[in-house]
Amino acid sequence: MPDVVLQARGLTKAFAAPAGPLPVLTDVSLEIFAGDSVSIRGSSGSGKTTLLQLLGGLDQPDSGEVLILAPDTSLVAPHSSLGRGVGFVFQNYQLMPELTALENVALAARIAGVPSEAATAEARSLLTQVGLGARLEHLPSKLSGGECQRVAIARALVNRPSVILADEPTGNLDERTGAEIMDLLLGVVAERGAALILVTHSREFAERATRRFVLSGGVLTPA
Amino acid sequence: MPWFLHLALRQLFPPGKRFPAFATVSILGVGLGVASLLIVQTVMNGFGEEHRLRIRESFGDCQVTGAAPIERPEALAKQLAASPEVASASPYAEGPALARNGDFSGIAQVRGIDPTDPAQPARKYVYGGSFDELDDGRIILGAGLARALRVRIGDRIEIWSPAMAERAEKGKAPLPAEFEVCAVIVTGFTEVDNAAALIPLRRFREIWNLGPRAHGLTLRLKQPALAEATAGRLAVGHPELRFRPWQDIKKDFLAAIRFEKTMLFFLMFIITLVASFSIGSTLFSAVIRRSREVGVLASLGAARWQIVALFGLQGLLIGALGTLLGFVLTWTILACRDGILGMINRLFGGGDMVANIYLFSKVPLHYDATDFVIASAFTLLTTAIAGLVPALWAAGRKPSEAMRDA
Repeated sequence: MPDVVLQARGLTKAFAAPAGPLPVLTDVSLEIFAGDSVSIRGSSGSGKTTLLQLLGGLDQPDSGEVLILAPDTSLVAPHSSLGRGVGFVFQNYQLMPELTALENVALAARIAGVPSEAATAEARSLLTQVGLGARLEHLPSKLSGGECQRVAIARALVNRPSVILADEPTGNLDERTGAEIMDLLLGVVAERGAALILVTHSREFAERATRRFVLSGGVLTPA
Repeated sequence: MPWFLHLALRQLFPPGKRFPAFATVSILGVGLGVASLLIVQTVMNGFGEEHRLRIRESFGDCQVTGAAPIERPEALAKQLAASPEVASASPYAEGPALARNGDFSGIAQVRGIDPTDPAQPARKYVYGGSFDELDDGRIILGAGLARALRVRIGDRIEIWSPAMAERAEKGKAPLPAEFEVCAVIVTGFTEVDNAAALIPLRRFREIWNLGPRAHGLTLRLKQPALAEATAGRLAVGHPELRFRPWQDIKKDFLAAIRFEKTMLFFLMFIITLVASFSIGSTLFSAVIRRSREVGVLASLGAARWQIVALFGLQGLLIGALGTLLGFVLTWTILACRDGILGMINRLFGGGDMVANIYLFSKVPLHYDATDFVIASAFTLLTTAIAGLVPALWAAGRKPSEAMRDA
């Protein structure tokens, strides 16, 4: 039995609305294992991003708890392991516009406390792995959407997290580039032994995960 | 270099941009505020110093007077001059008199001085004529008094002293003392220039029937700035005499100069404060614009204090660079001050105000390190606060909210 790298139990979340609390997630439970790849599909506004934010510690559930495998192999709350236990890939890449590709990736390592030289070396190696060895000193404004997403994937992986949370990583890309990015994401995540949770609209991309879920009406069910 | 400092520098000066508008405008704003503050302070210091020097030169570093005229002033001067703190001591006598030139007359404050004293400060203020021609038959007048009497160099005037009235009471014919005007002085002090009349002390004693006595002594001190303490020490053993340091002679005037400087500092500081507020508001919009980046930094594991540091440092960097620019602008503008003033005078046709009103040959300056330290400290503090407020706001937000609201 592989190690559990992420455990979510009974997650409930509602947002305040003028007409009263608007439930988004109801009693969502999920267990992710090392090397797992999980896809979560759902229509717009179904709460996919909210679930991902709860799993990654960017937001707190109203009830329930999330535990994540920290680098020291203990299960901890995700917000205490941000940047180390969890790596994020966002739809809009979310790169720092003033930093080069290399600096963007190294930044994540620097924030995690890695010394500058080691962070830069690791960032260079990862960017080369994702096919951007010749674009290290380019600013995001000089990169294509696909290239930006490659930088974002390298950034998510630089601290060797146990889980990668990818929120519509192909949402801003054309079909061909999207497929390339999915190949890269699944390949590089598997190569590094991390688990992947992929939130997507695309049935095709969702099918490529080993386990598939659908989020509808705030309830998570196997597809 | 910590990552947040690196990122702060990159956000202020983005690579590939020739003109980082936000940083340039903010630094310029702070620089201009600091420069206004320091230029005003430095010029005010200059005026203050110039006035202080004139007070000392017009009235001496310390004046020694008594309830009655000093009986043996030369001996006392010799005794005081022997003190290691005293550079020189010379007796003087002074009194009001009626000055007359035909149909024109005025009240003169006649002062008997030693014309052979090379350190005699009046030498510096000679506007026309020659100080060295002063002798028993000649007189030096303040410019205002000369104007009132309608006299020029070489004209003759009469001086009627109170001692002459005594002669008249005793039944003797009072005869005025006649002098030829040999020089005119301009000190910048209206009360001096409108009444001063300088004659040799020997002649003054004759006209006032003073005998060997004098009304007081003027002391030049080796350390004029310490005149108050020195006067206290010199007074020991002379209970019958009053030792007045120069700071005490024009106490109210000096207090007014200090007050004026403080008020101007306060007014100019408001300019710096306005610049800081504008930085605060610009930083606030920048932070809001970067909300998503704040959320991303949090998702990468950035601690709250690091996010505060990232934006707080931007305020501080703007403050520090603006202060440096302010120093450079201050030095540059003050170095070209006479040219700038000349241009203003030509544009508005006001004539040379410095020469005509303040009677200084050029705008006086006095750089005071304390002003620079205070201006820097205030500016850095206000710009740091201007940066910290939006930084604290940004760091206090939930990452998910920051990313959603951007």
